[in-house]
Amino acid sequence: MAQLKFFGYLADIAGTRTKEVRLEKPVLLRELLPSAFPRENIVILIDEKPGHLESTVTNESKVVMMPVLSGG
Amino acid sequence: MKGYGKLLRVNLSDGKITKEEISDSMKRDFLGGRGFAVKLLWDEVKHVDPLSEKNKLIFSTGPLSGQLLPSAGKMVIASKSPLTGGYGDGNIGTMASVHLRKAGYDVVVVEGKAEKPSYLLIEDESVKVVDAADFWGRNTFEAQDLLEKKHGRNSGILLIGPAGENQIPISTIMSQKGRAGGRPGMGAVMGSKNLKALVVKGTGNVSNFDEARLREMGKKGYDEIKAKESYDFWMKQGTMQAFEWCNENACLPTFNYKEGVFEFSKELDGYVVEKLHADRKGCPMCNMQCGHVIKDSSGQSSELDYENVGMLGPNIGMKSLPQVALLNRLADEWGLDTISLGSAIGFLMEASEKGLIPEKLGWGDFEAAQRLVAEIGKGEGLGKLVSRGVKVASETLGRGSQRWAMHVKGLEISAYNCHACPGMALSFATSPIGAHHKDAWVISWEISTDRFSYNKAKVEKLIEFQRIRGGFFESATVCRLPWVEVSFGINWYPEYLEAITGERRTWEELYTMGDRIYNLIRAFWKREIPEFGRKWDYPPDRWFEEPHSEGKMKGIKIDREKYEQMLSWYYELRGWDQNGIPRKETLDALGLKGVLNEITG
Repeated sequence: MAQLKFFGYLADIAGTRTKEVRLEKPVLLRELLPSAFPRENIVILIDEKPGHLESTVTNESKVVMMPVLSGG
Repeated sequence: MKGYGKLLRVNLSDGKITKEEISDSMKRDFLGGRGFAVKLLWDEVKHVDPLSEKNKLIFSTGPLSGQLLPSAGKMVIASKSPLTGGYGDGNIGTMASVHLRKAGYDVVVVEGKAEKPSYLLIEDESVKVVDAADFWGRNTFEAQDLLEKKHGRNSGILLIGPAGENQIPISTIMSQKGRAGGRPGMGAVMGSKNLKALVVKGTGNVSNFDEARLREMGKKGYDEIKAKESYDFWMKQGTMQAFEWCNENACLPTFNYKEGVFEFSKELDGYVVEKLHADRKGCPMCNMQCGHVIKDSSGQSSELDYENVGMLGPNIGMKSLPQVALLNRLADEWGLDTISLGSAIGFLMEASEKGLIPEKLGWGDFEAAQRLVAEIGKGEGLGKLVSRGVKVASETLGRGSQRWAMHVKGLEISAYNCHACPGMALSFATSPIGAHHKDAWVISWEISTDRFSYNKAKVEKLIEFQRIRGGFFESATVCRLPWVEVSFGINWYPEYLEAITGERRTWEELYTMGDRIYNLIRAFWKREIPEFGRKWDYPPDRWFEEPHSEGKMKGIKIDREKYEQMLSWYYELRGWDQNGIPRKETLDALGLKGVLNEITG
C-alpha cells in the first residue's frame, strides 16, 4: 500500500494526517490528492527523495507532504 | 524623505539628551532597523569592552515599523555583543516599536552608564531618565506590571530581568511578558548601563508620502493574509507546527544536538499546544499572532514558540510540554534567552553524562533544569560555568567539550539540527550575529530540493534568503513570518515602502542594501576581533564527526571537504577573500570606501 503523510495545513486540506492507498499500477501523485491541494510552497518527499505533484507513486511508495515553514 | 522620524541620543552618564535628523543618504543606503544599527555601531563603537560604558545600545526601527501594516510592530536592538565580542542584534515584537514611531523617533542610542538603576521614559517630546529603584531586582513580569500600573497600559515597555541586571551574557531584553529580542547579550549591555527599562508613550503619527494608498494597501495585505489557505492552521499551531516537521525531517535538536528525532515528540508538538491552548499573544499590528499560551506545570501562563520548545524540550530530554512551558516562563521572567539557555543546560547534561563535571544531571531532569535557570540567571554554581555561553564553558571545561559546544561565533545555535542539512549548516555558520535562524533559513528549500547535495545553487539560495531576511526584513523592521509561513506576497513590501517614503526601490536595490549591511557587519567583526576570519564560519565539530545514531538520517553527517567548498563559494559570491574578509572592490561598490583601511590598518 502506498503511504501518504500530510503535515501542517495540508492535513486539513487532505482531510487526514495519514492515508494508505492500494495501487494496482503507478499513478501520478496529484491523482491521489484533492483538487484543492496547493501546487506551490510545499515540500514533497517520495521515499526520502524530492518529488512533485507530477511524480509517479507506486504501491510501495512512502510520500510525505509538508508546508514550507520556519520555526520562530 | 517621508516616513521617518528622528534619532534620539541619551547619555546616561552626563544626562545629555539630543534629537538628531537622520540623513536621506543614511535612509537610502541603510533603510532602518539593523541597517541604521550597524552603521551607528561602525561609526561610534570601536574597540570597547561590551560591558563598559563606552559601548552603545541601539533600539532601531525601520520605515515600516509601527505602521498599520501586516506584522509591523517590530524593532531591532543592537550593540557590540558581550557574548560573542562581535556585532550583535535581536529582533523583538513590541508596542514600544509603535509608540516610538508615534513619538517621532526611529532610533534611540543609549550611551554611558547611569549612576544608579534607572529607566528611560519617552513621552513624545519629553525624554527623562527616571529612578528605577522600585523595579530593579524584579523579574520582567513583575516589573512590566508595575511599570504599566505607573504609566498606563497604553505604553510600550522594553525591560531586562535579574539576568540582565547581573550582566549575564546570555540575557536578553523582554517585552509584554513573553516577547524577547537581543540574543547575543543585549540584556547584559542594558544591565551594564544600569538601565532597567524603556517606557515609551507616543501620541503622534508618522508622516507618510501617500497615507491613503498606504492605508488601502495595508488593509488589502491583512485581508490577503486571512484568506490564505494555510491561515487557519497557522492560527491553531503557529510556529509550533515546525516541531512535527523537524522531527519528521530528523532535524529536531535532541540531547544537545546529538540526534535529530525524539521518541517523545508527540508529547510536545503543535497538536499538544492546540489541546492545551489557553490564550494567544503576539506582536502589535499582527493578524496572525504566533504566541500560544498554555498553563505550565505550576498552573501559570507561558507563551510558547517552536524555538523555546525545541531547545527546552528534546534538546534537554524533557518529555512534558507543561514542564517545558514552566522552564520557558522562568527564562522569560529572568530575562534569559531560551535558545542559549536550552543549549547551556544541554551542554551541562552532556558534561555530566560524560563525567566531566561531578554534578549528576540526567537528561530530562526537570528539578535540576529549574535550579539551573536560577543559577544561570545569577551566574552562580553550575550556572557560572555556562552563563557566558557554551563556547566559553567548553573552553573552560576542555577535555573535548569544544566539539559538542553547539554554537557558531559564540552564539548558541537555534533549533535546527543540521547533521543532514549542509546548506542550513552553512547558513548558521555565515549568519552575521552567530548561529540564528532569523538570518539563517535555507532548510525548507534544501529539504524540498536535495538535502544531501553540496552544490553552488544551495549557496546562491542561502545568500538570496540572507538578502531578504537579514537585509530587508531586519531593516524595514517588519516580521518575515507572513511571507515565510502563509506565503504573503513579498512584492507588497516595496509597494509599502514607496507609499511611505515616496521612493520606488527595486528588489535589486534592496538586495544591494542587504549586501551593504552584511559587509559592514562583517567588517565590524574583523575590526573588533583582529583574528576573525574563515575559521569563525564553521558549525560545531559534532555535525562533522558524530552522525545520528537513530532515525531516518542515521549514519549521516556533514562532509567536511564538501562543506569547505561551499564556504569557498559563499565567499566568492559575496565578493570576499578566502579568509572571509570583504575585498576592496566589493566594499567600494557598496559605497563603503575607507572600511577596508580600518579593518586592515
